[in-house]
Amino acid sequence: MATVTATNDQPGSTVKAGRVLILLDGSPLSLAALEAAAEIALARNTEVLGVFVEETNLLRAAGYGFAREVGGSSGLARPLEAAALEVRLQALAEQARRSLKQTMARRGLSQTLKLCRGRVAEEVLNLVQPDDLVVLGRVGWSGIPGGRLGSTARVLLRQAPGDVLLWTAPGHRRQNRVVVLLNHDQGANHRAVRAGAELAHRSNQPLSVLIRASSEGEQEVAQDILRYMEREGISARVRWIPVASAGAALRAMQEEGASHLIVSRTCSVFADQEADTLLAGLNLPVTVTP
Amino acid sequence: MAVPAALTEDQIYHRCPSEKLGFDTTETLEDLELPFGQDRVLRALEFGASMTAKGFNLFVLGPTGVGKHELVKQFLTNHAADKPVPSDWCHVFNFQHSDKPAAIELQPGEGRTFREDMDGLISELKTAIPATFESEEYQSRIQELQEEVTQRQQKALFAIQEEASNNNIAMVSTPAGFSFAPMRNGEVIEPKEYETFSDEEKELIEAKVEDLQKKLQQAIQQVPRLRKEVRERIHELNEEMVQLSLGGPIGELREKWSHRPAVVAHLDGVRNDVVEHAEAFQDSENGVPGGLLNRYRVNLLVDNADTQGAPVVYEDLPNHQHLTGQIEHRAHQGNLYTDFTLIRAGSLHQANGGYLVVDARRLLTQPLAWEGLKRILFSGEIRIESLERLYGLATTVSQQPEPIPMNVKVVLLGDRMLYYLLSHYDPDFLDLFKVEADFEDELDRDEGSYALYARMIATMARASGLKVLDRAAVARVIEHASRLASDQKKLTAHDRVLKDLLAEADHWASQSEDDSIGIAHVQQAIDEREYRASRIRERSLEQVRRGIMMIATEGRQVGQVNGLSVLQVGANRFGQPTRITATARPGKGQVVDIEREAKLGGPIHSKAVMILSRFMAHRYAPMGELSLSASLAFEQSYGGVEGDSASVAETCVLLSAITGVPLKQSLAVTGSMNQHGEVQAVGGVNEKIEGFFNVCAQAGEVNGHGALLPASNVEHLMLNKQLQDAVGEGRFSVYPLSHIDQAIELLTGMEAGIPDAEGKYPENTFNRLVADRLAEYAQAGKKKDDDKANRNGGNGGNSNGDE
Repeated sequence: MATVTATNDQPGSTVKAGRVLILLDGSPLSLAALEAAAEIALARNTEVLGVFVEETNLLRAAGYGFAREVGGSSGLARPLEAAALEVRLQALAEQARRSLKQTMARRGLSQTLKLCRGRVAEEVLNLVQPDDLVVLGRVGWSGIPGGRLGSTARVLLRQAPGDVLLWTAPGHRRQNRVVVLLNHDQGANHRAVRAGAELAHRSNQPLSVLIRASSEGEQEVAQDILRYMEREGISARVRWIPVASAGAALRAMQEEGASHLIVSRTCSVFADQEADTLLAGLNLPVTVTP
Repeated sequence: MAVPAALTEDQIYHRCPSEKLGFDTTETLEDLELPFGQDRVLRALEFGASMTAKGFNLFVLGPTGVGKHELVKQFLTNHAADKPVPSDWCHVFNFQHSDKPAAIELQPGEGRTFREDMDGLISELKTAIPATFESEEYQSRIQELQEEVTQRQQKALFAIQEEASNNNIAMVSTPAGFSFAPMRNGEVIEPKEYETFSDEEKELIEAKVEDLQKKLQQAIQQVPRLRKEVRERIHELNEEMVQLSLGGPIGELREKWSHRPAVVAHLDGVRNDVVEHAEAFQDSENGVPGGLLNRYRVNLLVDNADTQGAPVVYEDLPNHQHLTGQIEHRAHQGNLYTDFTLIRAGSLHQANGGYLVVDARRLLTQPLAWEGLKRILFSGEIRIESLERLYGLATTVSQQPEPIPMNVKVVLLGDRMLYYLLSHYDPDFLDLFKVEADFEDELDRDEGSYALYARMIATMARASGLKVLDRAAVARVIEHASRLASDQKKLTAHDRVLKDLLAEADHWASQSEDDSIGIAHVQQAIDEREYRASRIRERSLEQVRRGIMMIATEGRQVGQVNGLSVLQVGANRFGQPTRITATARPGKGQVVDIEREAKLGGPIHSKAVMILSRFMAHRYAPMGELSLSASLAFEQSYGGVEGDSASVAETCVLLSAITGVPLKQSLAVTGSMNQHGEVQAVGGVNEKIEGFFNVCAQAGEVNGHGALLPASNVEHLMLNKQLQDAVGEGRFSVYPLSHIDQAIELLTGMEAGIPDAEGKYPENTFNRLVADRLAEYAQAGKKKDDDKANRNGGNGGNSNGDE
């Protein structure tokens, strides 16, 4: 996996624009994510690559004579036939293609749709490059009621070489701050802070940086961040929060009125199951930087 | 029969002896609290206002201008002052049936307090509830709840996923759900490869898949139940929080209003409703929806906080809505909305516990108002219903406020005709308006009434802010009141006419810069009033003067007499003479009423002519045929004739035509006559005599002129100053008649003659002339018949000769 190349020696320049990869599966959330991806691509002036993956496991499962599809909402079982499934997937792919084309054409952006067959996470990891931004819905049509993280999202968050935007419908209007969650002692912070700055710029929102630390101190870190933000012309504030459970971080974010969270994968909150708790509790778009 | 003596000046005008009025000006007179002479009305009002049984509402009847409204208002205000102040009434939201606002009865003055209390509670709700919901405590408890439920959902699904993995079975997402398939190393096994598995293995796998499917099915189907559970638990939490934050204020109010169970019940309803809608209070972005909070407001329909005694309400526009109340609508973006706060009280609500005064004619001219009022009086409760709903024009959902029990005494004011028509045609009327308060039009004029009438005049003048009247002026007003009543022994009770007269006299007094109203001002007011209305009278006199309308006031004429008639134009009446003529010749006993033949005569006039024709037959040809063919006509009358007041004149002129004896044209005659020749009273004598006097006066000097009127009309005479003077100086005579013979003697100057025992009249009397002349007619008729019979062969002997 490629390591992150921090370009913080050129703070004023824009981030080198990689592509925006958008995962499409025809679910409503993926269409919403498509809009968000288009906005980002427009701001970065970059191309958009749509990815539609036909899951091998699904195709294989449909090949079994005894295969049944249990309805996600109704719980009713009905036969799952390979031929019918093919037709449904094709229809979904066609819909994805149409949506992609329409969304991008409105903004004058170039787009490509890549159709592949295999395992979604693997296929995406094959396509993605370190500068690329991967945008995906928080859950696909595999969404389990209750809205936990989908399995694909889980893999990509941990393994993608570039930034991953986990899209969800924007929350309350009252929430209007970009929040960056950091560990005070991590080197990968730069990328998260930079991504936060870019987002704050784009959405014209103030920025909060929450730093997890066992004790307040190391004011230098905060000063560095504030200086950087000042140069960028962003209204920002830094807040220290204790290294406690994900729930505590979650509440701190709610208090800040977070509209978008940016967090580094190396942040300690990603250890163990904490990340799941954090992401499940947050009903807002999350960008995870490597 | 002796000719009656002419009336004296005192007989034609009943003076008010001003020396008997014991005051100088009206300034010293005390106000009259209640009008005098209206005892019947006052007793009826007293009874009706105090009677509590159902249906004893009042109808005050009397002509317009008699002062019904003032009297009723004054009486009821006094009467109601000692009565208890009725309850306040409020409408509040009905939490069980939102379209049927509930009504709450409160002690007078409590309504305002209740409304203020609820407004205070609403302010409290606006801030306290959202604050509770925003609190850290609530937020974290909600989060805990939601997390717990999510975890329970996830747990079940993860358990299935786990179980599947442990059995080497993959749980695969499909576009609409999940499916299970055998797997190896995290990948689903190719179906072809699966074919190679042994039957036992396949059976095992398929059984497991089926088992997993069932479990998944169960888990998914648990979701709605879980959601419901979480909703319930959130609701419980909301309730708990609301109870905590509302417990204080609502508890205080419950304590305060513990003596009013309806209020306490409403407060409980409000608390439950807030809990029910707790989520709406959480939207701190837009605040609590106003519509929700409005439901807790109080619509104070009837506020008796400032009322003294029982209310007396006069509804001057008694339409359906104003009486029963209405439900207003608010326009918002082209739509009409209503709720219980837009219910408006009607005058029946305002008068509840007291009196409602309504003008009957206005009430009857408003669509459905009368029916609505009757329905409410029958049912004993006020139900607000819109006209469009009553008509069935609107079927949209609207408010149906809880009816309010009614205890109103309704007082209708109207003229007599209306009362009698309603009694006759409306079967409900007498059930609902059992008390009839009938106004006197006229008051007795006697020694005792002068002082009271003077006080009444003083009260009127004071109430209208007029100058004081001196004694002579009051006397003149009293005399004029008699003239208005057309009766020497009565005074008019018409409030309006008197007030107008006083106001006008006051005006003339101001014009002449006098401090008080004197007799001259009163007289001026009367004269000016008469002058203003005199255009048509003047025109009529002019026609006579120029000879267009032929009236003779000098000399003697056969078959011609001056009758007297009255014309009414608007509120004014005036008299004028009319020439009545007659012709006579032999015939078969008929008197042709030309007016009737031409369809210009009314039935009473026809009756009078028939009476006079039977009177003549009976008197002059009791045993034989009345061989007469006569005709009677009102000359130059084009507008129709009605009434019997000309029958004396008609009899005289007819007899003149028969006998050829001329009648004095300097006299005019009025009076009705019965079949025995007795003269009976008629109306409008003052106007009639004044009318003839005016004609005489403009024709030259009045000297030796006169008028004949029924003796029973003498006490109706209140003739004007000119006539009084002329009578005083003997230039004009007014003769009272009691029998037709007196009229004959006065008009012809001949003795009328009284029949002897055989029924024969003495020689050289007028009646003898009539009888002889009629005998001649009969003779002439018989001769004619004989000639005719001879021509026909002599077999017509039993023909009676009339043709």
